[in-house]
Formats: sequence, structure tokens, C-alpha cells
Amino acid sequence: MTEDTDTTEARADGGGTGIVPPDDETPTWSERKARKQGLARTTYEYFERARREDQQLRQESDYVERDVLGFPAWPHETIRNLALTSFFVGAIVFLSATLPPHIDAPANSGVTPPTILPDWYLYWSFGLLKLGPLNPDLALLGGQKLMADRTFGVLANLVVVGAIAIVPFLNKGSARRPVEQPFWASVGVFGVILSITLAVLSVKNLFPMDSHLTFDLTFLVPFVGAFITYAVLKSMREGYMFELNRRYYRLRPPK
Amino acid sequence: MADEFMKGFGILVTAGLGWMVIAGWYKTPSFQGTQLLGEYPESPDVFSQIAIYLGESLFYFAIFGALAFWVLVPAINQARQAYDDRS
Repeated sequence: MTEDTDTTEARADGGGTGIVPPDDETPTWSERKARKQGLARTTYEYFERARREDQQLRQESDYVERDVLGFPAWPHETIRNLALTSFFVGAIVFLSATLPPHIDAPANSGVTPPTILPDWYLYWSFGLLKLGPLNPDLALLGGQKLMADRTFGVLANLVVVGAIAIVPFLNKGSARRPVEQPFWASVGVFGVILSITLAVLSVKNLFPMDSHLTFDLTFLVPFVGAFITYAVLKSMREGYMFELNRRYYRLRPPK
Repeated sequence: MADEFMKGFGILVTAGLGWMVIAGWYKTPSFQGTQLLGEYPESPDVFSQIAIYLGESLFYFAIFGALAFWVLVPAINQARQAYDDRS
């Protein structure tokens, strides 16, 4: 870059034209006129005051102001990730060295164990197989059920998995925080609580509660949790701090 | 503020790991039964007594050390600041 080719820069020594092209910050003449009177002036003053308060609040707080989309992968993210990784690897090595695992007797393949359960992360699916009381019976068939309870359970699995598969097409999820979309946040809370209550339902014989009450609570508790989440997040959308945060978090990665 | 959180968290994690190891050695009678919260062995020898004492102190250090940096020190700082602002 040499000074000879840089002709667009305005010079103040009288040599140039002195005309500075307007940038984004410079108000146009119509904007300046619009700010003189009436509602436009009130609006302008209101937003200007909000901006000034925002700026003062940021300068007073001890948070580091960040106006970047992210931090570079090297060295910031890499060193942070290395620190976290070595912490957890160190914890695992330490625990495995100091607490050697108990090794049980080998399984006897000739004996059926008294309790048959899938791995814990499949309890929700196992619980969906136990929805027999929900299986409708038809008066037309003389009180007979349309399908067997086990078929109903498999169908319930299909419905739940299908609903989870559809969610990304219903909502792309551009919100950064649950406050921004209370409805979808409550849907998520509903799903999380339902998976937990279904897991409890799958082990209802081992759970210290009346099994009918467990069955009812399985479907009641998720709705209660979703309503509470929605109410809390909806009430958090009001107030000065939310407006401030919304402006602060407006910087988003491109969709 | 963040520094004090990290100090308390470091105390909680380090002392908690130490307590976990000693509890795994001395307070876990069998794998199937109660783990980490079981009964101490009867008539421990000198080294076991030292380890049990160390485990107990690590347990309380984890709790009160974290509470000190998360609650006590910030409260003292706030009180001092309020006192300074008043005069």
C-alpha cells in the first residue's frame, strides 16, 4: 500500500476536495430533519437514551465486552480444550489407579437372572412397551382390543421416534437461549421429563410407588414441567434486562 | 469473582476426589452393598486410622472450603464495599 495510489482518503491540507463520503454512521439530511420534531424526535431520544444506558451498563460491569462471533481455534480454543481434556483424563487415570474396579464372578449362561432390563439408556423405550392400559378397546369388537398390547408398545415407540425425527424440520433452532423461544424450550423440557418418567415406568415393579399412580404421573409430570418452563421463560421475556440482552446478543452466526 | 469461583471449585474437586478414594478404600465393604457411605472397619490399624482421619478432614474441607470462597469471601467483600461506600 503506497500513499500515491490511496486517493480516496480525504486530506485536510486544502489539497483535496474536502468532501467526505458518508459512512453508515453519518445521518442523512432527511434523517437529521426527521429528528427535529414530533414523534420522530421522541423516538430518537428514547432510543438514544436506551443506547446510552446500555453503554453505561456495559462499562460499569466487570464482564469483558465481546463483539466477535467466536475465538480463534488456535491458540484460544485449543488450549482451553487441552486443559479440559487433561483434567478429565487425569481424573480418570487417578480414579482407575486408586480405585481398582470390582470384578464379579462370570455370568452363568444356564440361569435366567431374576430381573431382566435393558441398559439404562433404553429404559424409556422399555417403558413405552408397558403402555397396555392406554391400548383402546372397541365396542364394535365386543370389548376386544384392536391389537395386542405388545404391538401397541412397538407402535408407541415408532410414534415417539417419529416425533423426535420431525422436530428439526418443524423448528430449525436459531435461538441461542431458551428465553428467546419459550414454546420450543418447553417442548424440549417436556421430552426430557417424559423420557425420565418413562424410564421410571419401565422399572415400576422396583420403584417404591403405587404402580397406577406411577402410570398416571408418567404423563402428568411432563405437562406440569412444560407449563412451568413456559411460564417462567415467558415472564423472563419482560423487563429492561431482557431488552438489553436481546440487543447484546443480536450478533449471530449466519444461518 | 470468577477467580473466587475457581478457587472454591478447585478445592471442591481436589478434596472431593481424595475423599472419594479413601471412602472407596475404607467405607465400601462390598461392591453390591453400600458404596462410599458404608461402615468403617472395626479396629483399624495405625495407617488406616490416619487414612480415615484424612478422609474425614478432606470431606469437610471440600464442603467448607468451597463455601468459604463462594459465600464467605464474597460476603466479606460486599460488606467491606458497603462500609466504604457509607463513609
